[in-house]
Amino acid sequence: MAGLSYRSAAKIAAREMRSSRGKFMFVLLSVAIGVAALTGVRGFSASFRTTLLTRARSIMAADLAARMGQQATQDEQKGLDDIRATGVEMTNVTEMLSMASSPKSPDPLLISLKAVDPALYPFYGQVELSPAMGLKAALTPTSVAVGDDLLLRLGLHVGDDLKVGGQMFRIAASVVNEPDRLSGTFAAGPRVLISRDALQSTGLLAPGSHATERFLFKLPPPTDGRPVSDTAVADLKAKLVALLPEAQLTDYRETNPSLTEGLDRATGLLSLMSLVALVLGAVGVAMAMRAHLQQRLDTIAIMKSLGARSSQIMKIYLLQTLLLGLAGGVLGVLLGVGVQLAFPAVLGKLINVPTDLHIQPRAILVGLGAGVLTTLLFTLPPLLDIRSVRPILILRRAVEENDDPFVTALLKKISHNSAQILATALILGGLAAIAMTLSDSPIVGTVFSIGLVVVLLALLAASAALLWGLKFFLNRTRLHLPSALRHGLANLYRPGNPSAALLAALGMGVMQIMTVYLIQRAVVTELHMTSRPDMPNVFLVDIANSEIDGVRAVLKTQPGVSTQPELLPMVTARVDSIDGVTQAEARAKADAEPKGDADGMQRNRRRRMPRSVNLTWAEAAPVGTMVVEGEWWQPGERRPQLAISQQEATWLGVKLGSTIAFTAEDRQVPATVVALTKDDGRHVFGRVQFTLPRAALNGLPVVWYGGVHVDPAQVSQFQRALYLAYPTVTVINVAQALETVRAVVIQITYVIQFLAAFSIFAGVIILASSIAGTKYRRIREVVVLKTLGATRARIATIFSIEFAVLGLVAGTVGIVFANLIVRTLEHRVFNVAYKSQLPLNLTALLATAALTVATGWIASHRILGQKPLEVLREE
Amino acid sequence: MIDDPGKTQPMIEVHELRKSIRNGTRTVDILKGLDFTVPKGEFVAIMGASGSGKSTLLGLLAGLDTPSSGYVRLNGTAISYLPEDQLAQVRGKTVGFVFQSYQLIPTLTALENVLLPHELNADGDGLPRARQLLTSVGLGDRMDHYPVQLSGGEQQRVALARAFVLHPPIVLADEPTGNLDTTNGAHVLELLLQLNRIEGTTLVLVTHDPVLADCAGRRIVLRDGLIISDEINTARHMPTPPPPIPVAVGS
Repeated sequence: MAGLSYRSAAKIAAREMRSSRGKFMFVLLSVAIGVAALTGVRGFSASFRTTLLTRARSIMAADLAARMGQQATQDEQKGLDDIRATGVEMTNVTEMLSMASSPKSPDPLLISLKAVDPALYPFYGQVELSPAMGLKAALTPTSVAVGDDLLLRLGLHVGDDLKVGGQMFRIAASVVNEPDRLSGTFAAGPRVLISRDALQSTGLLAPGSHATERFLFKLPPPTDGRPVSDTAVADLKAKLVALLPEAQLTDYRETNPSLTEGLDRATGLLSLMSLVALVLGAVGVAMAMRAHLQQRLDTIAIMKSLGARSSQIMKIYLLQTLLLGLAGGVLGVLLGVGVQLAFPAVLGKLINVPTDLHIQPRAILVGLGAGVLTTLLFTLPPLLDIRSVRPILILRRAVEENDDPFVTALLKKISHNSAQILATALILGGLAAIAMTLSDSPIVGTVFSIGLVVVLLALLAASAALLWGLKFFLNRTRLHLPSALRHGLANLYRPGNPSAALLAALGMGVMQIMTVYLIQRAVVTELHMTSRPDMPNVFLVDIANSEIDGVRAVLKTQPGVSTQPELLPMVTARVDSIDGVTQAEARAKADAEPKGDADGMQRNRRRRMPRSVNLTWAEAAPVGTMVVEGEWWQPGERRPQLAISQQEATWLGVKLGSTIAFTAEDRQVPATVVALTKDDGRHVFGRVQFTLPRAALNGLPVVWYGGVHVDPAQVSQFQRALYLAYPTVTVINVAQALETVRAVVIQITYVIQFLAAFSIFAGVIILASSIAGTKYRRIREVVVLKTLGATRARIATIFSIEFAVLGLVAGTVGIVFANLIVRTLEHRVFNVAYKSQLPLNLTALLATAALTVATGWIASHRILGQKPLEVLREE
Repeated sequence: MIDDPGKTQPMIEVHELRKSIRNGTRTVDILKGLDFTVPKGEFVAIMGASGSGKSTLLGLLAGLDTPSSGYVRLNGTAISYLPEDQLAQVRGKTVGFVFQSYQLIPTLTALENVLLPHELNADGDGLPRARQLLTSVGLGDRMDHYPVQLSGGEQQRVALARAFVLHPPIVLADEPTGNLDTTNGAHVLELLLQLNRIEGTTLVLVTHDPVLADCAGRRIVLRDGLIISDEINTARHMPTPPPPIPVAVGS
């Protein structure tokens, strides 16, 4: 056998696989299940995420938006053209207040005019019109689309004429939903959508007009069908910050907190689940290969006694391993793709998302790579052990039967075996690389990896401690214990017993499953809370102080109003100076500084000092607002203290203790910043950035701004009623947009729950097969016990005790670590408060023990029924 | 239990015993119809070439498998078609088994291994008897050792003690010295015979070693699944007695 060619080695390997098909099938399936879980979860979550991200972008109709107070300068326009040249699509949306009138009605009406280029706008999502038609057809040089409320107020119908500026337009349709309604300005007056060309013809866009420009950007999507990456969005944002210093830049993630939070959590959880699938798959492969190699020890010893050299045997088994890994991997990928295709069919009714499935070659390669690498990882060290297998094994088998080829051997060998260390390190590196590409969230990846290593060490320590403790206990008590109990416990530390490996596998598995379950639960609970259906979805703009009590009364009596209305008083004020620096000084200073320096942000900040802002009052932090720094004042505070939103504070460069001097109606209000706040974006109070104590604003002229939740089906009735009572109050209906958001968030929760259930199910199967894989080594013991007169019940009792202890110890370690990991992740990544759930954890612990015992029984069922001679004859 | 007062009950009765196994698509006849009886207290050696069916026969005698046809009676009880758990009881109480490769439970100490049949099949305290037996096979100072800590000969001696612990009427041994060197083999054999004598058990021993077979009072030779010779060994050879080992077997 001097020159064993790969060909003959492969032949020997294949021959051996053919001869014990059943056992190899088991290994193969374990690899396949692991890879299938990975490919399935990964693939589906990638497709789903693509769909979700597209939805999220539709909330602002673009990847990125830049809002500017005036038209772009020539330099800026040139920069924008350069950006366009790189393949970025761009369109601008102009919003302004104007007046409209109808030949039918004498009174002109304040309108909120929005000019778009219907050929480009919107980049994501769709403008819904009634009657249904394309935006291009509705917005021509001679026609516009208008809000329902305009038709109501002016008593018009679709098809009538409307005069905007100097021009007469035909009303082509009414606007049912604009995708970016939530990210536009909430100005007073009904909506009129007009094409940019038509706006030009009105002559309204004269220099000095108070128009807001919003540039929408869409990055070219990557060719592989994946969504535009967040990095690409961030890069473009950085470019735009430099180019448009005075613009307020928003990316699609910032438009709706509940949506982006939902997305972030989903992303984190999905990548966690991919990692879990990978590790569980690896555990399955490890346990299967371990049992497999142990059975090959005899064959190896025989081959050695026939003169085979270690290198030759290793060649044979390496090929066999690769073959198994590859075959299992291919089967797993096929299964995974099948699962991926099956998900939408199963979920179709629930999520109603046409997830565009694309089977990515990359995902398949990752699956295959993970299969082969994990197989190698867990077989190479024991394969290298072949060198130390002595042919005497065949003769003294009963004596030296179980030389544990994995965990203990690995630890032992690692200390003085460089080949193994090198192989292990290389393969671990490969796996880490796979894990990196799997994890879209670096924090999740890091916490998870650290957790994994720590838990592995903890499990090994726990198993060592358990075995030591048991030995100590048994040595003291052994003959006083009932014999079945003593035997069952003693089985845990049989020489070369799989306890340590099984403990590690079970513990890891339990940890993973519990982590997924707990986080899934917390995230779903949180998402349900944030997507509560009673958030304000109708906003009231420009309620006069004299009308506020009347409006309150109307809101109280209107059907469909399901929450306490949120009413916000607003006082318009001028900003005179910030920390003593006036508007003019700040601008002069900014202009004097050289352009393009490192501190561009600082300069931009000075330019941003707003001329006029809205102030409000509150005696305590209003609902939905959180103090993140500093402290809110006591009720009855008379000094002009100021709570400012954190975002605005960063924008303006103010800190706690800064002074902002406002002037409102000739009254000077020098306010000191005492608190920085953050709002959840779901309440009316978040609309105003500056809050003072009530006393500080006493006597100043006030207009009110309101938000209320109205049953979406009853919004138009509500609008009509309010119009009849208070015709000057503008009603902005975002019910539809919010419903979209809510629907997406709900879909996220369904998918999360479904995928979590799938991962958990796959995990349980893998763990069960790991336990089942230990059955081959029990056969001999069963035979001996039977020969000595043991009944099946007796043997089952002995095994149950062994399995129950294993399940309890592994369960305890796994669950404790799952809680630690969940605690870290929930705090850092998922932004959910960790709640310890003792009953749940205890249930999980008992379930682990029960499942372990049950699986042990099921796996042992056949060998318990076997006739002893059948086994003895095989030897 | 069948009790025939007219005639001494044979301890082992084998009638028309056949065993076939399926090997893939082929059916292999291992035993092709055996008939013999063994009276109480007899020492029978079963001989034959490899593949002659001797180990299968021993397995069927011990109730480790069911025959294809025919039956085995042990001490008057037909064991061949009993349900698995009843069979386990018979194995435990009626038969002591000694394997060629010892087959000790690796997680139990020597003492626990010897105690095991008692724990599985009997009530009361088996410890004194187990200790006694271990002492009698010369392992009085190694009772708390695990199998891996014992040599092959020592392990087989533990196995002997285990086989006798419940005073079984029958002891079956499958090449008990096959894995041992001459010295250890002789020692184990000596102990086996000694225990057999003292306990008055019926001993059936499978071997292809003529020296071993010479010690038996009767030799049954198998070839191709049939008995080709069954004769009383007139020139029964007793091996030289080993150094005296204190055997104090209580009840």
